[in-house]
Amino acid sequence: MSAVYAYPTLVGKIEATVRGASIDGKPLQLSLISQRDQVVALHQVERDDWTEGVLELEVSLPVDELADGPWSGVSCVAVLTEGATNTRVVTRLERRRDDTRWRGEVRVRRSTHATRALLDVSVVGSHGGVDGRILGKTDAPWVVDLLARTPARQRDLEIAEEDFRDGPQQWLRPFVDAPWLVDTSGDLPTILLNTSFEGLSALLSGARSPLEKATAGLVAAQVAGEAWATMFQSALSNLEFDEDGTPHLPSGWRGAVLRSMLPEVFPRLPLPDALREAHDRRADGRGWAEVQSRIEFAAGKRSQLPRNLLATIRAVSRSQEGAR
Amino acid sequence: MRAGQEVLPHVAVLRASKPIQDDSVRWSVDPVREIVEEAMHRFDAARTDADAWLAPRLHATLRLTRAEAADAGLWNFLALAVAPDFVLWRHLPLVTADEGAPRKINSARFVGPHYSQAFARLWWSAEMFRDGPDYAPAEIACANQDMINTALRLAAIDHKPTALALVLVLKGLADDGATRLGDRVNALCTAVNVAGSTLMYEVIAPDDPPRHDALTEWIADAGSVVPWERFPEGPDDGTARRSSLDLLSRMFAQFAAEAPLRDRTRSGAAQD
Repeated sequence: MSAVYAYPTLVGKIEATVRGASIDGKPLQLSLISQRDQVVALHQVERDDWTEGVLELEVSLPVDELADGPWSGVSCVAVLTEGATNTRVVTRLERRRDDTRWRGEVRVRRSTHATRALLDVSVVGSHGGVDGRILGKTDAPWVVDLLARTPARQRDLEIAEEDFRDGPQQWLRPFVDAPWLVDTSGDLPTILLNTSFEGLSALLSGARSPLEKATAGLVAAQVAGEAWATMFQSALSNLEFDEDGTPHLPSGWRGAVLRSMLPEVFPRLPLPDALREAHDRRADGRGWAEVQSRIEFAAGKRSQLPRNLLATIRAVSRSQEGAR
Repeated sequence: MRAGQEVLPHVAVLRASKPIQDDSVRWSVDPVREIVEEAMHRFDAARTDADAWLAPRLHATLRLTRAEAADAGLWNFLALAVAPDFVLWRHLPLVTADEGAPRKINSARFVGPHYSQAFARLWWSAEMFRDGPDYAPAEIACANQDMINTALRLAAIDHKPTALALVLVLKGLADDGATRLGDRVNALCTAVNVAGSTLMYEVIAPDDPPRHDALTEWIADAGSVVPWERFPEGPDDGTARRSSLDLLSRMFAQFAAEAPLRDRTRSGAAQD
């Protein structure tokens, strides 16, 4: 949990697993539940007219920590939310005697969800005479996707605002003069926007005049281009290999980035060959400079840099005409 | 267009609109026109007062699931194609801060998020603040602009007893003749939201899940004309547990008594 709490919270991990699911009483194929990406795809081509899905949830809690902790009346709940439909359904989970895990069924009503619902698990208890305190939460929610036919996280990257100078993240201090950084170390690549860089957040979120909007678009494209290039490089340094040395696409976002950018970096090669080529060239340096240029080009295209630059140039020249 | 001086590109709007697959009577626009025209007639002297009258009647006319109401296209169509005159009437400022500047509507009233868009804000207020079939709490909520502008954005009101407890506290303050009611509502909303980040209201104040079959039945029963002089009947999908409501309203009354009010000496009070 990242927020600051005025009472002791759990340190140990809360892990939620969707063990099975059904739609209108019919079991869902297990291939529609991805444990790795924590996604359930509740869409089946044959039936779009379903009314209720049921997810079987299993949760493991830091049992010893809870037993020794200062809390009482601890319960465990599943929280299913979707912002677009203002829906929030809280389901109590139960623990049978002699069972270490908490279990329960979460109901997903088709009529109260639009596209993607998020499923979190919270541990709630009393502390210091106050009931209903949130003591801990799952690190990342499960995604219940009502439109997808395959269970995949489609989000490419996160954007977070951080104060590089005075914020809590010590490691950002040396970068105080950088307007942004791309961090590819986590489960999702993250663009960190520096809020102590004067005017940047205001420009990106509150641009009004045509010139401001064009500039904001250009900056956003610049950030995105840099992010794509960094993501590609980072993914390429995280390959997995066969016994015979054949590189494989890594899992998660790294695989997705390579899959989408390699065809542009090595246009005529099939994906496995392009992957091997990229890896070999990077390893022995042969023709790597040329590959770098193509990575820049592919990243710029994804971030729509040319279009945004053109728009800015035109906006600037129009505003100069106006001033004359 | 936002100043009401240009004619809407009606053909373009209709062409850009996506036809609705289902031809049930609930998608008919005539009943919406009817209540909107009545609202403009009744409340021309005090336009903000139209919200409290219109919200329950719009909700009972447009019988939707939340999944359907999440489709912004529906609200955009109502604002741009069905009743742009209402949007102008309700949201065009009567005076401008800068004298001589043309009066303009914020474009979010036509195509904005659910708490800003002219029709979506009314429908969602009625949906979030009704107590089962009873629209009375929604009427109280909509009579206060700060409830629509601020409370409707809070995720905390997705819990029915929380939403209704907010209304009860608001009503208590209004009945006691509290001053600066708008500031009090905003301060209360902030307090409820902040406390909600560490407290789980659903565990403190449990509630029963809504009865979806009753909602489905109510939606299927669309087409009846809504009354003008008394409340329409909302879906009978379950009312909030009284014990939970009592507990939370006591708690929120406490918040309201302690929450600091915004300093108005430096910023001008904006009324919408």
